[in-house]
Amino acid sequence: MKKSSQKKTFVIVQIAVLGAFAIALLFSNAQARTALKAKTLGIESFEPVPIPREEPYRVKPLYNRPDIVSDEALAAVLEKIQPRFSPREMKPNHIEHALRTWGVTATFQNPNAVSGQGMLEFLTDHGAYIESWGKEVRPILEEKPTGIRIRWGAETGASYHHDHWLACVTEAGASLNTPVYGPSRRDDTLYDVVQESLRDFRLDEREVEWTAMAFGLWIAPTREWVGSGGREYSFDLIAERLLRGHKNLGVCSGTHRVYSLMLLLRLDEEFDVLTDAMHAKVYAHMENVRDLIIASQFPDGSWPGNWPDGKDAVDNPIEEELYKKIISTGHQLEWLSIAPPALQPPEEQVRKAVDWIVEVTKSQTRAEIKQRFTFFSHVGVALANWRQVHPADFWREWEKTHPYDPAIEDDGSLDTKKTEQANAH
Amino acid sequence: MSTVVENVKSKSGQETPVTPQYQTEDGQPNLALLEDRTPEAFKATSALTLIVGALGALFVLLNYFPIWHTDIWGHLSYGRLILETGKMPSTEPLMPLAMGVPMIDTAWLSQILGYLTFQQFGTAGIQFLYASAILFVAGSIAISLYARTKQPWVALLAVFFFYWCDYQQLLIVRPQLAGMVCFAAVFMLATAFTWRKWFMVAIPVVFALWANLHGSFIVGLAMLGALTVGRAIDVLRRTRSFKMMLSESRTRQLLFVTELSAAAVLLNPYGIGIYPAVFEISGNPNLQNLIEWDPLTLRMKQGQAAAALFLALVGLYRFSPRRVSAGEVLLLGGLGLGALWTSRLIVWWAPVAAYYFGLHGAAVWRMWMQARPAEPKRGGLYTVSILGMAWIFFAYTPLGGRVLHGATDTPEKEAAQLERSLSRKTPIEAVAYLNENPPQGLVFNSYEWGDYLMWAGPKDMKLFVASHVHLVPEEVWQHYLEISQVASTWSSKLDRYGVNTIVINPQLHKGLATRLDDETETWEKAFESNKTVIFERRKKI
Repeated sequence: MKKSSQKKTFVIVQIAVLGAFAIALLFSNAQARTALKAKTLGIESFEPVPIPREEPYRVKPLYNRPDIVSDEALAAVLEKIQPRFSPREMKPNHIEHALRTWGVTATFQNPNAVSGQGMLEFLTDHGAYIESWGKEVRPILEEKPTGIRIRWGAETGASYHHDHWLACVTEAGASLNTPVYGPSRRDDTLYDVVQESLRDFRLDEREVEWTAMAFGLWIAPTREWVGSGGREYSFDLIAERLLRGHKNLGVCSGTHRVYSLMLLLRLDEEFDVLTDAMHAKVYAHMENVRDLIIASQFPDGSWPGNWPDGKDAVDNPIEEELYKKIISTGHQLEWLSIAPPALQPPEEQVRKAVDWIVEVTKSQTRAEIKQRFTFFSHVGVALANWRQVHPADFWREWEKTHPYDPAIEDDGSLDTKKTEQANAH
Repeated sequence: MSTVVENVKSKSGQETPVTPQYQTEDGQPNLALLEDRTPEAFKATSALTLIVGALGALFVLLNYFPIWHTDIWGHLSYGRLILETGKMPSTEPLMPLAMGVPMIDTAWLSQILGYLTFQQFGTAGIQFLYASAILFVAGSIAISLYARTKQPWVALLAVFFFYWCDYQQLLIVRPQLAGMVCFAAVFMLATAFTWRKWFMVAIPVVFALWANLHGSFIVGLAMLGALTVGRAIDVLRRTRSFKMMLSESRTRQLLFVTELSAAAVLLNPYGIGIYPAVFEISGNPNLQNLIEWDPLTLRMKQGQAAAALFLALVGLYRFSPRRVSAGEVLLLGGLGLGALWTSRLIVWWAPVAAYYFGLHGAAVWRMWMQARPAEPKRGGLYTVSILGMAWIFFAYTPLGGRVLHGATDTPEKEAAQLERSLSRKTPIEAVAYLNENPPQGLVFNSYEWGDYLMWAGPKDMKLFVASHVHLVPEEVWQHYLEISQVASTWSSKLDRYGVNTIVINPQLHKGLATRLDDETETWEKAFESNKTVIFERRKKI
């Protein structure tokens, strides 16, 4: 009798306890279930973020101003920045810049220039990558259980900035189902890179400029999403992060931050990805940036690296190398090409900047362009944007009437050996 | 002085009628005729009076301990927010750099209770809650030991050991104290000599409460688990029978109560989500940089106290005639190893170790004395004494003073009283300055001060960090350390975060204060006292 009562009690307690846990599990929210799964099964808590498009969104440039950027000027610059890369040890940073400039459909009559598809292949196919770098260098495509991670940093053969690879491939117009072949996997696509990027994003990592762009162009109109560790991210948070700190901080004298903020404003107009309060804050910031560049432009049309100093930058000019002005001026023209009229400096200032940058670019030797390719690529994008034309489309048309001339290819500045050495860095 | 007047029988042996003499010869009432009519259950002993007197003195003393300058103010801020918004925050709401970080507020009930107490009674109320929690733990150890050993001095010695080991941890006023109260209650019930039926309800009820007061309920579950397994091992060793082990009543009671307690924990706003959350908090990498999460070593005062208690226990185990239960070995070993891993766990080891020290100490003493302890005097007078002492102890606390005499009548007195009740490290001057000169942009602050600045500083002030470091993103925390330790990137990090104001304790951040002093082009000293220095950026970002 006592034994059966003991058994009954035992069974009742077990049912009550298991029932309680079952009910708790049933009524738990997604956050609790994900955390539980992460703790018990060791599975990281990240749910893929829906990506509502197959092709990346393109923020269209707003102006077609042949009076500011003539066909000849644009052609002269684009001719300089054709992706002339030696197949050996191609620097991912250069290829990424070239690809975002020229796009995945780019073709060239110049046999030394790598096509858009060729560049995309280098970045997305481990086989193509080792053809250039050999097997000794760590792959740029790292296979993770959750997707494909892009190796980045100052290491040899790595992409230089976090999510720069992704932002450039995205801006180049690669579709979401673009195959990405890792060292051992063949079934990943660009989708897996985007998801891995969403998973490993940390708001306070060193740079978020390219992450902001890549996420914006893929996941908008999604405003908020949950990253790894359960943190709730939003475009508001990213914008706040981009607004934070001195304006001159960040890559290329802080101009990438400005470009990313401008892009977020444009995305917000289209998809309402920012709250009204954040929109107002970013807009006010951009107005301030506009005022600063109005005040900091040099009489020759260039903008200095310390443009955030405004008038003081002109009154007390700092000593800096020419390439810093090229960076600053090219990048300012680039964000201005997608900025609404209210955020523009007087037209005359834009004209002067264009004239200056075109002349400087034209005066560069092949070797100088090669050395500073990344900076000049932004000049090409900026000028094409001011004509509302894609560089590849323009160039294709241009080459119909101005065919490739091997005679002008070698200006004597390039030493093949030196070029290969430069590529290795 | 009264004299005892006895009934006298006549010499002839004849009984004469007894006439009680209600008065002595000098006309005073004859106290010898007074009869103790206190019900037996309410009669206290002299030993209990001694214990209450000692614990009461400790209680009064604790009521005058200044409120530690860290955690409590953060918890009160969360309590204030919850009551103001009427909802629990799902992400960190008070630290701008932690926006979006998921927050499971395991201490929400403590925070609300603390805030309501503060609203009603000010700092006196918080001090009273603080002292009451420690009194409860110390009292549980003392009373249960006394009940089992009848040796008040051993009980008080055990309390001394508990407090000696834990006093550093106990300086900080925080919801963990509520967890300690629950821990003591459960431990005393689960190890009671006689198991009562109501324990089966009372213990899960405590856990339901505990899960809402503090995340340490998980330690309580581990404690019950250890006692259950320990009991099962004991039975198995004695009977060599698994069947007996499974059917032994105490083992089953402990098993059931553990299971029911684990289920009772689910009664919280996060349901089952609270389980992964508590592990998430304790495993947070940011905690590695906090001293209180460091391993316990002999260099620490609490480590030395723990070593003394450990050695005393070893000695007692050598001589104790009591059987050593597997449960106590598991508990002492488990919690002890835990404390060696992270010194914060000493708060759980110390009361358990003190309790077993008392049990075995009393047993050894009885063995050496070869006698049971003398029965203490018992009577209503002691009960009255205890009640009287309780009233006096209460009256002497700041809260007692406030209840009996009302709050201070002038703002100056109020401010002076507030200053007295706060630890000397509390950034009162910094808060006064910042309230008069609200900072623009992000404020870099000593993390120890974040909570008080958050509580008492300007409403919209954006602080870098506060003591809830497990909610701070890992990168931000590393950057905080880089800046505060003046790493090579300290200045660029301040620029990157757009910090315009720096509020630090110059004694804690000597290096940073010196460097900022040198950077006169960028920073200017806006306020300075012997415990506070505030720098402001000349050209605001």
